[in-house]
Amino acid sequence: MTAWHLDPEAIRLYAQGAAPPQLAASAEAHLMKCAACRDGISAHVDTRRVEAIWQEVADRVDAPRRSWPERMLVRLGVGEATARLVAATPTLRGPWLLAVAGVLALAAWAAQFDERFLQMFLVVAPLGPLAGVAVAFAGGLDPTREIGLAAPYSGLRLLLIRTAAVLAVTVPIVAVAGLALPGSNWLAAAWLLPTAGLTCAALALTARVTPVVAVGVVAMSWVLVTAPTALAGHLHLAVGIGAQLFWLAVAIGGSLWLAITRHTVTIKLGRSA
Amino acid sequence: MSTVRVHGASKSFGRTKALDNVDLEAGPGVTGLLGPNGAGKTTLLRIIATVLAPDRGQVTLLGRDPSRPDERTAIRERLGYLPQDAGFHRGFTVFEFIDYVAILKQMTERRARHDEVRRVVALTGLESVSAKRIRALSGGMRRRVGLAQAMLGDPALLVLDEPTVGLDPEQRLRFREMISHAGEGRTVVMSSHQTEDITALCSRIAVIHQGQARFTGTPAELTAQAAGRVWTDTQRSPAALAAWRTGEGAYRNVGDPPAGAELIPPTLEDAYLLLMGEPELEVSHS
Ligand SMILES: Nc1ncnc2c1ncn2[C@@H]1O[C@H](COP(=O)(O)OP(=O)(O)O)[C@@H](O)[C@H]1O
Ligand SMILES: [Mg+2]
Ligand SMILES: [Zn+2]
Repeated sequence: MTAWHLDPEAIRLYAQGAAPPQLAASAEAHLMKCAACRDGISAHVDTRRVEAIWQEVADRVDAPRRSWPERMLVRLGVGEATARLVAATPTLRGPWLLAVAGVLALAAWAAQFDERFLQMFLVVAPLGPLAGVAVAFAGGLDPTREIGLAAPYSGLRLLLIRTAAVLAVTVPIVAVAGLALPGSNWLAAAWLLPTAGLTCAALALTARVTPVVAVGVVAMSWVLVTAPTALAGHLHLAVGIGAQLFWLAVAIGGSLWLAITRHTVTIKLGRSA
Repeated sequence: MSTVRVHGASKSFGRTKALDNVDLEAGPGVTGLLGPNGAGKTTLLRIIATVLAPDRGQVTLLGRDPSRPDERTAIRERLGYLPQDAGFHRGFTVFEFIDYVAILKQMTERRARHDEVRRVVALTGLESVSAKRIRALSGGMRRRVGLAQAMLGDPALLVLDEPTVGLDPEQRLRFREMISHAGEGRTVVMSSHQTEDITALCSRIAVIHQGQARFTGTPAELTAQAAGRVWTDTQRSPAALAAWRTGEGAYRNVGDPPAGAELIPPTLEDAYLLLMGEPELEVSHS
């Protein structure tokens, strides 16, 4: 027991969190030792505020700190729930990104030696991001696919979120590889619109087949059309101005179609649903 | 009142007929699917979990039709599913992973969602490992994580595919306790290839074999099917479909008893054995 006690005004200020720092410190020290003043303080404390503080503390303690990609996304303005969904995308794990980067680096390196390889780079470039989208939904790679399929979360939304995340990471990789191409000509960027068009076409196809099959179909068609064209020296037919406009139209058409049918079409995220 | 109603469901994978014209009804309480590996249990549970659509047949879950997109979403909002061999994002912590599933279950408000995650973590006894990475957990603990995510949002229908397989006896008991608790007031449909789980937990069972429901009813009804077909003898009886030496030294024979055999009360396992054994017998006689 101590001889002095906090006066009622000090107790009120402290309880409401309005005490100046000096007073708060000495009040705190006293409250640790004095049961009488602790009883006195409880009458003043706003229980809702205490509850809120307690909740916040509990949340900090066992909702663990987010991993750095999640923190970065949240800082960029992405919702914390969406950031968690992105963090669970299989493609965004090291090995897959390294594979994409590796193939493109190889293509860019080969292009140094031969004009034809330069053209092959354009054929290969869209395949990187497309493969990333396929990997994001490959059943064997997403260990929680079944749980996700049985959950009410919109399949289309998940598809778009993961695709956007994959593109945000893979497109810069392709761009860097493109910069390594010899000469600084328009070819270095000519893969962008085809990539957008092919991705949108694949997304639209998921109303009929799974993302992996959709990407497979789209990628195969692209290679079958552009590879022979490139080898025959007519690459401009596949990536020239006319082709660019075509891919722009495909991208816009695909997105519009998805937007219009989003409530009526079932997206096939898995082989079975 | 049936929460789950499956009528005439068939499903093939290529040439394999995984399910062949199966009927199943389940209401509040624990309903068990019993059958050997490859019988079609997982296929049936995936249909009940809205993950798979049957090739033929009608399915009604929680009074709704899962083949319609809007109704399917409504079902999924009240469904919990623990798949067989459920995988995890092993880099996530227990809390992060369950939180991830809660997001997929459309719990958008962070504070409420975290409260719900804490609730299922406590329910499955995972508090002490909640901040641990999943890859650092034992198999039994991981299974609990699987159960915890299925319990999110207090689902009206809980689908558990072989929830106790690979657990040691003590964990198995703990799991039975949690599942039987979960079955109070909600519909639980689970599978197992072990009769002990089914006997301990289920008020109704369906025996699935080669894609067909060979029996549906209560455990007592299944056991009763073996009445008069189990006897003891000092030796393995040639008439027995199965016979084994018990701890007391006598042979327990299951099958068609010879005249004057010393009949004993059957167990659910005896009845299951008979149900599994008969088709092969018929085939070998013809
Ligand atoms: N996705 C699939 N693709 C091909 N065959 C499958 C698939 N799922 C199940 N099967 C086959 O269907 C049959 C039933 O399997 P399943 O439902 O997993 O049985 P259970 O769960 O009782 O062991 C098995 O023969 C299995 O090989
Ligand atoms: Mg199975
Ligand atoms: Zn005092």
